[in-house]
Amino acid sequence: MTETDASDPLVLERVSLTLPSAAGPVDILRGLDVTVGRGERVALVGPSGSGKSSLIAVAAGLERPTGGRVLLFGKDMAGLDEDGRARLRRGRVSLVFQSFHLLPNMTAEENVAAPLEIARTPGATETAKAWLERVGLSARGRHYPHQLSGGEQQRVALARALASRPALLFADEPTGNLDAANAAHVAELMFDLVAETGAALVLVTHDEALARRAGRTVRLRDGRVAQESTTTA
Amino acid sequence: MTPLSFRFAARELRGGVRGFRIFLACLALGVAAIAAAGSTAEAFRRGLASQASEILGGDLALSVRQRNFNPAEQAILGHAGQVSYAVASMAMAQSPAGERRLIELRGVNDAYPLAGKVTLKGASSLQAAIAPVRGVAGAVVEQPLLDKLHMQVGDQFLAGNLPLVVRGVLLEEPDRLSRGFALGPRVITSLAAVQRGGFMAPGLPFGVTARVELPAGTPLAAAKADLHRRMGGLVRIRDREDAAPGIHRLIDQLEYFLGFIGLASLVAGGLGVFGAVSAYLEVRKPVIATLKALGAEGQLVRDIYLIQIGLLAALGVAIGLAIGAAAPLAMGELIKNNLPIPALFAVYPGPLAKAAAFGLLSAAAFSLAPLGRARSTPPASLFRSDLSGTFKIGPEIVGAVLAAVGLAAMAVATAPTPLAAAIMIAGVAVSFGLLWALGWGSAVLAGKARTRARGPLRIGLANLAGPHSAARTASPAIGLGVALLAAVVLIQSALLNQVAEVAPRTAPALVFTDIPGDRPAEFDAAVRRGFGAPLTSKTYLREPFVTGRITKVRGQPVDTQKIARSDRWAYDSDISMSAIGPEPEGAGIENGRWWPANYAGPAQVAIDVDVARGEQIKVGDQITLSVLGNDIDAKVAVLRKVDFGGFGASFPLVITPSAMAGANLRQVAIAKASKAQEAAVIRELGHSFPTVNVISVREQLEAATDLFDRLALAVRGAAAVAALAGLLVLTGAIAARARARTREAAILKVLGASRGQILGAYVLEYGAVGVIAGAAGVALGYAAAWPVVVKVFHAKWSMDWAGVAALVAAAALVAGIGGLLAAFQALSKRPAPALRAE
Repeated sequence: MTETDASDPLVLERVSLTLPSAAGPVDILRGLDVTVGRGERVALVGPSGSGKSSLIAVAAGLERPTGGRVLLFGKDMAGLDEDGRARLRRGRVSLVFQSFHLLPNMTAEENVAAPLEIARTPGATETAKAWLERVGLSARGRHYPHQLSGGEQQRVALARALASRPALLFADEPTGNLDAANAAHVAELMFDLVAETGAALVLVTHDEALARRAGRTVRLRDGRVAQESTTTA
Repeated sequence: MTPLSFRFAARELRGGVRGFRIFLACLALGVAAIAAAGSTAEAFRRGLASQASEILGGDLALSVRQRNFNPAEQAILGHAGQVSYAVASMAMAQSPAGERRLIELRGVNDAYPLAGKVTLKGASSLQAAIAPVRGVAGAVVEQPLLDKLHMQVGDQFLAGNLPLVVRGVLLEEPDRLSRGFALGPRVITSLAAVQRGGFMAPGLPFGVTARVELPAGTPLAAAKADLHRRMGGLVRIRDREDAAPGIHRLIDQLEYFLGFIGLASLVAGGLGVFGAVSAYLEVRKPVIATLKALGAEGQLVRDIYLIQIGLLAALGVAIGLAIGAAAPLAMGELIKNNLPIPALFAVYPGPLAKAAAFGLLSAAAFSLAPLGRARSTPPASLFRSDLSGTFKIGPEIVGAVLAAVGLAAMAVATAPTPLAAAIMIAGVAVSFGLLWALGWGSAVLAGKARTRARGPLRIGLANLAGPHSAARTASPAIGLGVALLAAVVLIQSALLNQVAEVAPRTAPALVFTDIPGDRPAEFDAAVRRGFGAPLTSKTYLREPFVTGRITKVRGQPVDTQKIARSDRWAYDSDISMSAIGPEPEGAGIENGRWWPANYAGPAQVAIDVDVARGEQIKVGDQITLSVLGNDIDAKVAVLRKVDFGGFGASFPLVITPSAMAGANLRQVAIAKASKAQEAAVIRELGHSFPTVNVISVREQLEAATDLFDRLALAVRGAAAVAALAGLLVLTGAIAARARARTREAAILKVLGASRGQILGAYVLEYGAVGVIAGAAGVALGYAAAWPVVVKVFHAKWSMDWAGVAALVAAAALVAGIGGLLAAFQALSKRPAPALRAE
């Protein structure tokens, strides 16, 4: 665990998450402490069901923890309702998902522009075009998600996530649905762009090689931090 | 709403409206029904208005009963404008072969008709046809009279004692609609001939109407008020703007009935709307969550879907309006030559605007609540697909409730009788709530029962208990449709039974009117000869008859404007009276005591409670009656409930005989008779009492039964629209689950289930929905029909078990077929691709 700083984009203090189920409550996260510093790249690894994706959902404010504190850019999210958390995320936090989650009725360009439009950022379309060019898809701006390959869809998702130049990017197994060549291409692009924008990265992955590229690895087991390690590039 | 929400909504709509076919159909069906009902009613209203003068026969119509207009009155009318006179009476027509039949005899003067024209077959003009030739007046008659008496044009016949010659067949009179119901075929001759035939003698039940055509430019209201003042209160005056009040009321009621069916369809179809919006938002859940993960607030997301649903609702309403406006136009074109009422079919904005308002309010009431889920869908559902938006009290729920209240308020406010409408709307709301609760209850029960079941039964019960159970979605909608159909079927069958079975047993078969007051014993003897049996009080009753009007109550002149409209009939024209000494059998006394049989003191009266209600007349009150031109002051001795459909002294007013001493009143008699006795007595009276009219109640009941039968199909067809809405909701429920069913069927196949087992499970599931909805619908239909039959129509309740069974079976069959189709659709897909899609 690194030392907490007020300017850290993300601080989790004794965070727990218990979800109801037909068979009784299930403990997903059990008192986690994780801090992510500015520009830091953290990989979350662990077996299925260890709580990696849940940790991202809680850290990004998509889910309320049942215990502990989540500080996003120093702001405790406990006092915020869902709309308040959305406003806090807006322009500063982005997410990339394993199954892309592009808006199916919007073109690639509109998808990239969507978060900028929601944040009422001027010049959203121009910015989207520039980012599509940045991920090598300037010719596919008018295409709908179903007209793109999996790798292309994830590159659009990456452009959408980074177009607002966020300070913190959550990536939930971004290469999990891709073949090896596409996975390598997307991973390369993601690390390059994160380095270029200076965003902190929280990356959930099963791929140990990808995790090593992050520099810092947090290993989860049964909702707890089992091990933390750092590697030098 | 911001431009951003519109922009995103437009992008979302690129996906098309495939999932909204049921949504559109449900809205369009209800709106089309309401728009068609309103447009048709408006077409009839405009048609009537365009021919108002023809229907009334002039600008003003003044009527007197049992007397002619006196010379002074005729002079006043002559100054007002051009005048035509017509007398209406009943008479027995007798053919040369001795066959007899009751007719409505009409005598008109030279000026008739002032407006419109009489259409005849076999004669060039009415005046030429009714002119006397060699001392015998001519007449035009309706075809049924010629058929019944086996006569043809050129034959001579008797109307009472008056010889007439048939000179033509009467096809149409311009003023028929303003004159109402006829007890027999119509015959027109000259007024002079009717007078000569003795039909206008004092005490006979004839009426004279003067129709006035005002000089051009005369203000109608002023002319009417002037004549009212100069002619006195005993002359009934109508103007062309109130030419056929009965028909107007009928159109209003018909419009409301059909509109109500449309409204019920909107409510039943509302579940389809609700289901379609819910299913759509379920499909869009990842998009909603993604938008939120990208920073969109709940309100923006809600607005994006609100705009889409609003546009689709507008489209559904527009489709409904187009159908509702076009259907009457097409129908008018098809049956324009067979319409009994003039109609001007066109596109009328008023009824369409009303239908649109109903449609939009219904769309809001049923789609705002699920739209609230768009706002409350958590972005975490991107990680956990089981997460969904919840129904929380918020602006959407408040909006839905306000829209539902607005819908009900508008339905009540636009109804001809708001109280009845409020009861009907409340009935629909309560029924809907009960059906909804029953659907939920059935799902819970199925959940408990499935633990004890095996195989297809268990699959069927599990689906019934599941979160997308058709018991919760389709059964309330089908149930409401069945309830409406059941109510209509049960009301119709009970009334039909009353007319065809009960009434012939309890009501008299024959009514004799205009029996000369000085020959009662002779008349009784003639009837006895005709019947071939002695007369008893159980089969024959004869009493004096006269008509009179209540002019003062407790010393105050009656002001009909202050009397409730529903009670005014007893005060604004003459009503039937008798003079009876001894208390009649089954007098139905509710208050007071009948006078002694030989009472000879100051006049007393017994009044029917429905008559008394208009002026709150109580026992002991003093009233003044105008009878045969004389005022009679009488004390109210008795308030009684008269059984007008039974065999007894059914007079709303009965006075002590001494009050009418010396009046030599004509008499009426009622009798129970077989069909053979009926024919025999009509023949017998032809010899000895040709001027006595014989009304065959049996014939009237048969005519009513026939009318009921003809109406039954049309009314049931209209009610079936609501059932169609239920069917649409069922289709929507099946369609919404089609993908999940395909996957489920694939898994079941992989697990070794046969096609038969899967088919069985689905048919069982949907068949159960049909049985639940059908049985509950019939029970609710019964609850609605019983009070209407017993309390409103005062008829005897009878249960149409065959109709009820047919409805439940039809609901189960239709729903079962729905299940079968769902199963075939699911089984038609190969399991491997279906599982891969998962």
